[in-house]
Amino acid sequence: MLAVHKNYRTYAAFSIYVFLNLILGVLAFLVYRRWGFLSNLSWSISWGMQALVLCARGLAIMEVCKHLLSHYRGVWALAWRILLGSASLVMLYAGLAARHGLGFVLPKAERALELAIAVVIVGVFVFLRYYEVEAKREDRSLALGFCLYSCFGVLNNTVLERFLDSYVALWNFLGMLAFLASMLLWTWALCKPKTEGSPKETLLPYGVYQTLAPQFNLRLRLLNEQLVQFWKTEATRN
Amino acid sequence: MNLTLILFFGFVALLLLALGWALRKPRNARNLPTDPHALEEGQRHVDYLPQIRQALAAADYDFLSKRVSRGALQRVRRDRRGIALAYLSALRGDFQNLLCMASVIAVLSPEVAAAHEFERLRLTTKFAWQYQMIRWKLMAGFAPLPQLDGLSALVSGLSVRMEAALKELGERAALTAELASPMNRGGLSAV
Repeated sequence: MLAVHKNYRTYAAFSIYVFLNLILGVLAFLVYRRWGFLSNLSWSISWGMQALVLCARGLAIMEVCKHLLSHYRGVWALAWRILLGSASLVMLYAGLAARHGLGFVLPKAERALELAIAVVIVGVFVFLRYYEVEAKREDRSLALGFCLYSCFGVLNNTVLERFLDSYVALWNFLGMLAFLASMLLWTWALCKPKTEGSPKETLLPYGVYQTLAPQFNLRLRLLNEQLVQFWKTEATRN
Repeated sequence: MNLTLILFFGFVALLLLALGWALRKPRNARNLPTDPHALEEGQRHVDYLPQIRQALAAADYDFLSKRVSRGALQRVRRDRRGIALAYLSALRGDFQNLLCMASVIAVLSPEVAAAHEFERLRLTTKFAWQYQMIRWKLMAGFAPLPQLDGLSALVSGLSVRMEAALKELGERAALTAELASPMNRGGLSAV
């Protein structure tokens, strides 16, 4: 779909992520075949490849987030700072919430990153909803696929950490299933004809926001005061 | 149950809830008032406060309680509650219109200030919380009908402050237009 509909032009980072996944999948197969599942070399190579995939996913998500919000320059400037801050905090949370000790360091780090990714995407959707701006269907579906996959990755890794031996095979299978589900969602999003993007918004001149925003906030505060007064009137009567 | 499991499952559950909320279509998606005057000034249901206060006045209720049947009195009470709820709802309408306009301005601006945006978020949350609390109380009949007496002073102050804010805004716009005028730039009078 990426090649046929020439979507790689619009979604360059996403295309790289998908192709990297494909290539590394084949490579992982060859590595395991050559050195087996339990050798140290296989372990190092496969986790190294996983790190590469995560980086590519990070870039793809950044691209999708930009597609979703960057038309609105002011909001985007605010959003990316907040999202970056939230992602850092979530990684800290994931670090603190994980068990102490160095066991399972890589799955824990991966889980922290997955959680941060999910928070960033949900954050973008919250921004879209809060400012009531329209987004293209493809962008929404791509972001949704990433988010659901990351949420599932977090849960899967958490269960793995708890029930290691009995869960490894299922963990692997469920991980693949989640990835396939996301791929289906992305394929569905990209195989439909492209939706027309909203025409580039004409931005207001500098200074309009600085003049009007405090006025709006003042009015909102006054309406709030009215409601407080309403509340107080009731409270005193009780 | 393992603490790590609870922490991560709980967090993901919260995230999915937030995602569900964000993906849900708003009930009344961006419904800006079509009248430009209303856009400029808001609906300002507060202008009708004297009439509403009259409708809810305790004196009226006392007067009626001595003269009409119990059934009629109950109906009056129900109607008065309806008026209070309608007023609350209108206030919320005003609030949402303002909020919508503020969002449009923010979305179309090349830069926004985090302080203003956070202030708006705080006010929105506060309003939503208080609105629901009062509404539920009124609907459940736990609270006596508010007489809105305490509002009169506030509202007159509110109108004055709103007028002042609008006047200031108008003066600024006029000044900008005047400065931009080529005649005034050259110091010439039109007359």
